[in-house]
Amino acid sequence: MKKKLFSIIFLISFFLLFTTIIALADINWRQFEGVEIRLLMNKHPFTTFIEPKLPEFEEKTGIKVIMEVLPEDQFRDKRTIELNAGAKLDGFMIMPGQAMLHYWKAGWLAPLEGFMTDPDLTNIKEWDLGDFFAGPMKSPRIEGHQIGVVINAEASLLSYRKDLFERFNVKVPETMEELEEAAKFFHKKVVDAKEMIGITLRGKKAAATSQFVDFLYSFGGSWTDEKGNANIASPESIEAFKFYGKLLREYGPKGPTMYHWAESTSTFMDGTAAMIFDANVFKSLYEDPKESKVVGKVGYTTIPAGPAGKLPHVSDWSLAVSGTSAPEYQKATWLFIQWATNKENGLGSLLSGVPSGRESSWTNPIFVSTDKTPDWTKGSLESFAIGQPQWNPPVLNVNEIRDIVGQVIVDSIEGKDVADSAKKAAELMNKKMEK
Amino acid sequence: MKKLKEKIIHFVDNHMHIVFPAPAIITLFIIVIFPIIYNIYMSFNKWKIGLGSPNFIGLQNYIDAFYDPRFWNGLKVMLYFSGLSLSIEIILGLLIAVYFNKEFKGSNFVQTIYIFPFAATPVAIALIWCIMLNPQIGVLNYFLNLIGLPGSLWVSSPKTVILSLVLVDVWKWTPMVTLIVLAGLKSLPKDPYEAAIIDGANGFQIFSYITLPLIRPVLITALTLRSLDNLKEFDIIYTITQGGPGIASETLYLYSYQTAFKFFKAGYGSALIIIVFLLVLLFNVVMNKIRYRSEVL
Repeated sequence: MKKKLFSIIFLISFFLLFTTIIALADINWRQFEGVEIRLLMNKHPFTTFIEPKLPEFEEKTGIKVIMEVLPEDQFRDKRTIELNAGAKLDGFMIMPGQAMLHYWKAGWLAPLEGFMTDPDLTNIKEWDLGDFFAGPMKSPRIEGHQIGVVINAEASLLSYRKDLFERFNVKVPETMEELEEAAKFFHKKVVDAKEMIGITLRGKKAAATSQFVDFLYSFGGSWTDEKGNANIASPESIEAFKFYGKLLREYGPKGPTMYHWAESTSTFMDGTAAMIFDANVFKSLYEDPKESKVVGKVGYTTIPAGPAGKLPHVSDWSLAVSGTSAPEYQKATWLFIQWATNKENGLGSLLSGVPSGRESSWTNPIFVSTDKTPDWTKGSLESFAIGQPQWNPPVLNVNEIRDIVGQVIVDSIEGKDVADSAKKAAELMNKKMEK
Repeated sequence: MKKLKEKIIHFVDNHMHIVFPAPAIITLFIIVIFPIIYNIYMSFNKWKIGLGSPNFIGLQNYIDAFYDPRFWNGLKVMLYFSGLSLSIEIILGLLIAVYFNKEFKGSNFVQTIYIFPFAATPVAIALIWCIMLNPQIGVLNYFLNLIGLPGSLWVSSPKTVILSLVLVDVWKWTPMVTLIVLAGLKSLPKDPYEAAIIDGANGFQIFSYITLPLIRPVLITALTLRSLDNLKEFDIIYTITQGGPGIASETLYLYSYQTAFKFFKAGYGSALIIIVFLLVLLFNVVMNKIRYRSEVL
């Protein structure tokens, strides 16, 4: 009896000691109690995941979070305008490949390495910087400064209707020729009283460039050459434009030049398209029973190999702290970012379909055992491993150059002279590139 | 203390013409005049939003616009879109007003229904049209197919995009023209009509020799009001096409927005918008001249 009592006391005291040590090791999460931070977010699956969890953070820290969520285009415009006007904005989502150079030069991004290594602000061991994928984490880094933390490592995948591919015994495309053949096979084919579309892709000018880039690289083309001049009129680049345009013109939906990701994914979710090539994050849409008619019918694979091989891009969404915000607010925002990107939320976001930037999320037994789309996991991880981080033209005025390149995609879809259009665009690009 | 109060009252009494409108003038200055002046100043500068401070470059932005093919495309699209939609709206608006001017059973009900599009929010109706015009899932192509006609690409083809946008604009704004013209028709004197009927004039003659000349000042007013909106049409075009496919429906106004808020070139964007402003101004000066002449006649 005495022995039992002794062991119970021992266990309890051990437990108390253990929790005290843990509590001591943790940072003071309530050091900014009462502070109100304002965040601007893109309407993205990560935002959908994290927004309902905000009360948890607010309770833990006493920090009040005002989160404003806007569709991507408006989000980008508003972010720039607000930062320029010096509005109260403490943190925001950013695609480093898109806006980092401009924002960094404008002083709108706060370096985070000071926060990350400060034991008062960061639970260094628990947060575990080393757990993030090295590639995507390199992306929000400029001139030796870390300006963001990855919330979504993104690569594009070829998603296809595995039920139809199996039914008609069509080979899952591994090369560009096979991709075209498969698209041709399914296009205008009547399946279950529905006329199919071979493949759906983005065709809308600037918006299309972020998916086209995988074709550009895989055909051996590039945005710029070694000297930094426009390379979009090289024979390889022209081939890529031609191929992409042909896919959409001949095997694509009607009116593809107005297709942004929303139109393209809706067409695929409607069950009318046999294939789609777009960001892997959209799996969360394809597999959403409320939105999609193709739940459980989708297979995923990497981009098919072109003449130059299989060269997808990797991009990412990161959370950043505003450089214009006051130090106290920056620190409070850092606490938010630290919490939003912790291991638990990394896993949670991955479980809800957002490709997390943390390795531990992907290897976590909960994810592995419940993974309904292992081909998506395999394709995503493979793309992260071989992906090219430079997915946008390497310039300051990314939007303007994407707009110029996008015109060649539109011209190609409309069946115009691609070589001529690419040549004109390259000339314009050389004239307008700001570095 | 009392003296000061008296002084103030005295001052207000003597300067009523300045004191009373002052709040309105100050507000107007802050929200209208200052932005215009600042815009003009900005149009002489080169400035990328967020990077450094504005750099004075004189007329360079205007010279650049002259050599910018996208500027000319914008101007062409703007004139094409506005010319077509304004003419259809005025003609259709007039004809419908003449029809509504006759009393018929249920005319009040029909008129109420008819002004619905005019009352609706432009962005909301543009979003609905955007779905209806979709060549893949849109209801317009569905109806065309039902009656055996091939579907159109609507806003998805550079050939039909302006026509489709004109369709939306006409649907939305013709009721406004009708309302203005109808008010004018109701106020016309009855005697010329009675005289014409006695003289044996037919319907067409009455319309072209009496109604049209009498209603002309009203029509010009309607056109002026519509052109102010139409030449700087943004909401409908931006919501439906964002200037696409490519730049096939990018009016000067949209290009200016694109330049300033997507490419962050505030100076060049300002210059473009000043050009739009001047064009609208010019059009309205001409319209005013015509109206003045038609009223004098």
